[in-house]
Amino acid sequence: MAQIEQSSGGKQKKGAQKKMSIHVDFTPMVDMNMLLITFFMLCTTMIKSQTLSISLPTNEKVQQEDLQKAKESEAVTLILDTTYDENGGVKDNTVYYYFGQPLFEKSGDKITSSSIMVSKFEGNVGKELKGIRQILHNRNEEVLRQVEEQKDKWRNKQITEEQFQEAAKKIRNNSELTRPVVIIKPLNNASWESVIAALDEMQINQISRYQIGIPSPEDLGMVEATPEYQKAHANDKQ
Amino acid sequence: MGKVKIKRKSTLIDMTAMSDVTVLLLTFFMLTSTFLQKEPVTVITPSSVSEIKVPTANVVNVLVSPAGQVFLGLNGDAENAEEWGSEAIRGEVLQTMAADYKAKTGKDAGITNVDILKFQKNATFGVPIEKMHEFLMLDQTKQDEFLAQTADKPVVLGNLKPSDVGIPFKDIVYKDEAGNSIVTNQFQMWMRAIYNSKNTNIHDAIQKGEGIAVKSDRGTKYETIQKVLDNLQTIKMNKFSVMTALKTEAD
Repeated sequence: MAQIEQSSGGKQKKGAQKKMSIHVDFTPMVDMNMLLITFFMLCTTMIKSQTLSISLPTNEKVQQEDLQKAKESEAVTLILDTTYDENGGVKDNTVYYYFGQPLFEKSGDKITSSSIMVSKFEGNVGKELKGIRQILHNRNEEVLRQVEEQKDKWRNKQITEEQFQEAAKKIRNNSELTRPVVIIKPLNNASWESVIAALDEMQINQISRYQIGIPSPEDLGMVEATPEYQKAHANDKQ
Repeated sequence: MGKVKIKRKSTLIDMTAMSDVTVLLLTFFMLTSTFLQKEPVTVITPSSVSEIKVPTANVVNVLVSPAGQVFLGLNGDAENAEEWGSEAIRGEVLQTMAADYKAKTGKDAGITNVDILKFQKNATFGVPIEKMHEFLMLDQTKQDEFLAQTADKPVVLGNLKPSDVGIPFKDIVYKDEAGNSIVTNQFQMWMRAIYNSKNTNIHDAIQKGEGIAVKSDRGTKYETIQKVLDNLQTIKMNKFSVMTALKTEAD
């Protein structure tokens, strides 16, 4: 293959050069190519990052007040908190949550509440929903059921993907269904990861109405009074 | 008994086929690769189920380091690359920013034409505008060294101090035509300069919420990023995307 055959036909002329095959050694070429391939393989980013789009309300005062007006029966407030290990890495993300307006008792500086509950981002374990996903799923059951019906239709090739996306969007924004309004309130030391995880739960549970807010002094007080918070932050105060 | 004749075989292996394959592979990797962009801090983004791909054209990357330093990266138009490629738009934005800074504070940032040419080559930037000239006068390795410095190994180069890494959020108060005092900061000024660029595509992308990509490490505290989000809200850029990695676990 890599040798060039010289013609052997015809008369052998007098003084003609001796027939010889020319070998071209491709080994160095292969070596070099392999090096280049290795270089490109190591330098390329095969996985492109994804984006998650969020829209926040404007900073204007009027709209800030509107936020508080979310229907009490539909409101779910998630308060995010994170603990870190000695190296500053995320140890644990915790979600404190309550529905509607919380009930709390003030005695001096201490605020105690019976309506605040604690959960975690656990996702799915097998087919079973766990943690905060289960809670949000239950709250948005009507929407999820209808979206699932459409999804089945799409799986059975009755509708195209575009039609499914459109139908799902319609269901998500259908005001006749009971849909939750989720208010995500990250504490100052909540990690970015936990904020994204919360936003991600909105996507997974097809929740169309959510916002990021700032925890109120009552929220802070209630969270700090929970035994879970005190346990998680027992080492901080030393 | 006749002698068994061992035929002498050549040990040459024909490498042509191998070479063909490697060249093919090489071509594949060369054509599909996009190089990692150089960034002053390496961050590991949190993961999400979202499958929207990051746009590569007409996007402002807002990189927030765990320490709270903010860097901006600007990518221009891909379709209209000759007129509004990354370099053209970076140049325009720097000029707008310098003019805006002078109008609002009365101080001249001292940006020269050479600075603009150097600035166009930088994918990411993050120093106060008043120190931009001095920063751009450094050579590339010194610039990288300055931006990538850590708290336990501070780098001081002339007037450039460790506190000058990142775009400052210090209030700038100026009076508008009606005489009202308005508070802004350099981050907001940069974002406005980009938004008001003559390239309408980046303008549209920002309005749609695809033009701004906020990137931060998963362990960064929310209060750090809140500062950036709050400033974006103030200038009414309240639709944007955050960079995430694809979730690996089964959902």
